[in-house]
Amino acid sequence: MTRPWLRWLPAAMVPVALAAAALAGSYQAGAATSLPHKTAAEVIAMIGRSEVRALSGTLQQNSELGLPQLPSTGPAATQGPASVIELLSGSHTARVYVDGPSKARFQVMDMLAERDLVRNGNDLWLYNSADNSAAHMTLPAEPATGSPAPHATPTPGMATPDVVAQHFLAAVEPSTEVSVGDGTTVAGRTAYQLVIKPRSTGTLVDSVTIAVDSASGLPLGVDVRARGQAAAAFSLAFTDVNLSAPDAGLFSFTPPRGAAVEEKATPQLRALPGKTGQAPQTKAAAGRPTITGSGWDAVISLPAGTVPTDVRATPMFAQLTQAVPGGRALTTSLVSVLMLDDGRVFAGMVPLERLQAAAAPQ
Amino acid sequence: MTATPEDRPSSSWSLMASELSVLFRRLRTWAMLLALAAIPILIAAAVKLSSHPVAPGRGPPFLDRITQNGLFVGVTALVVSVPLFLPLTIGVVAGDTIAGEANLGTLRYLLVAPAGRVRLLLIKYTAAAVFCLAATLTVAAAGALAGVVLFPVGPVTLLSGDTIGVGESVARSLLIAAYVAVSLLGLSAIGLAISTFTDIPVGAMAATIVLSVVSQVADNLPQLEWLHPWLFSHYWLGFADLLRQPISWVSFGNNALLQAGYILAAWALAYGKFTSKDVLS
Repeated sequence: MTRPWLRWLPAAMVPVALAAAALAGSYQAGAATSLPHKTAAEVIAMIGRSEVRALSGTLQQNSELGLPQLPSTGPAATQGPASVIELLSGSHTARVYVDGPSKARFQVMDMLAERDLVRNGNDLWLYNSADNSAAHMTLPAEPATGSPAPHATPTPGMATPDVVAQHFLAAVEPSTEVSVGDGTTVAGRTAYQLVIKPRSTGTLVDSVTIAVDSASGLPLGVDVRARGQAAAAFSLAFTDVNLSAPDAGLFSFTPPRGAAVEEKATPQLRALPGKTGQAPQTKAAAGRPTITGSGWDAVISLPAGTVPTDVRATPMFAQLTQAVPGGRALTTSLVSVLMLDDGRVFAGMVPLERLQAAAAPQ
Repeated sequence: MTATPEDRPSSSWSLMASELSVLFRRLRTWAMLLALAAIPILIAAAVKLSSHPVAPGRGPPFLDRITQNGLFVGVTALVVSVPLFLPLTIGVVAGDTIAGEANLGTLRYLLVAPAGRVRLLLIKYTAAAVFCLAATLTVAAAGALAGVVLFPVGPVTLLSGDTIGVGESVARSLLIAAYVAVSLLGLSAIGLAISTFTDIPVGAMAATIVLSVVSQVADNLPQLEWLHPWLFSHYWLGFADLLRQPISWVSFGNNALLQAGYILAAWALAYGKFTSKDVLS
């Protein structure tokens, strides 16, 4: 033992080497890559031309919406309307299997539990392992065009994707800046980044980034950033993806023995108004909603009586909203909703003050 | 004792065998394994004797499935024992490795060979790792036995809602036991490292167990989210991924990688301390 300090060398070196290896690994994951240059229109057309019919992959979702923390475990958290809120907040990992337009399986992997959505032809099964319950629905024979996959493939109709892309860009141009950012790597595949930036400063949305696979045109991830927040308000991306057809056995689902099975009525095929991000707010649009403003800082207002009053009685409502003069408000980093005591509801991707201004009698 | 190249492997093997026989002939080891085996038996008996059916979503995960299928007893018992009971026994065995010998005054006899220190660490750690596997298998096997005796056995419902046969479910139970055993290897290495720093075995045991609790508490604090993937207990309950259809191997791989990192770091520390230590007792 001529040099005792030499024996301590591994103890000092190993943690450094491990940290370096871990850091190198994470750098590689999001490494910028150089891809042949493409314009925004070309990237959008690429999404339209995408011919991905089958895939299996893992999705990772993270939200920093600024919603109050709801209990994320226990049976109450994954049932009813709470499950929608639960899915929108926090982090989730889900596996997706798609084979053609009529076969899909979506698995939300919870801690020691799982929620499944299986579609095989006209059969739609929902299964929740936390309470061992299943629900079955028969879809109408003529299914809606929207594929149940997380990426909504635009229906090109008669126009070619290039034309649609041009039209889309021309339509959004006054309010939105669409550009192509640096190439990136998502789920081990090189991808273009389509950056959508509102021109208005009145909206809460800072930018929306869509990663588009450079080889197949499949959207691999979406990142929504809010103004004044470092972390992405909402991000959904593949951590691994495989474009070959998954095992056919995955799509045949029979409810397990002992499970509580519920037969649900066929859902009414009614076009849901509003953007996808506002689905929970615009669901009960029986009255005529009016939209004030345009583009990103538009405010949608629902007249009294459109939102059922019993929503206000649920404990979750009290937990999620805060009292403001004249009603209650839900504020997140991307969307604000103002529910007045007289029944009117205002919502938009704008700060709460703008909703209050819109609600004030002119 | 001058070790020639020819006789060294055989003497290593015989040392290994004697170490294992010492470990598994100790009353303490058997007491711990019996206590672990009691957990699934207690769960199964409690569910069997209770007059109320277990409501889904109440109590530990999978508890409500036990009445339908006895094979879930082992899984429920593992979920219950992973946070505390298994780390407790691992802490006792791993913390005792070097400090126990030092405390008994037998360490210097084990170290008469000039290159013996690394080999001794290796033998001690292997014995602790064997105990990890034995402890996990004890819980799983006792659970399977209690389940088969007290409840009907049939096709098993996975988390995904798919059903698998009894044969495959036994294979998956063994996989889960392997997962849990791998999960505990990092903690064993930490216990070994701590054990080289003290001559008081109880101190090393307590420190190891406390570390496992601290790691799990930190894993539940949302403020320390950046730290979570680095905590050795982070994937401890991830074995549920083996109950999905198809099996998700991601957490198995991540867990193995994380444990390997902890084993390397703890080993480096144990090597530094133990090879430069003045062994007086």
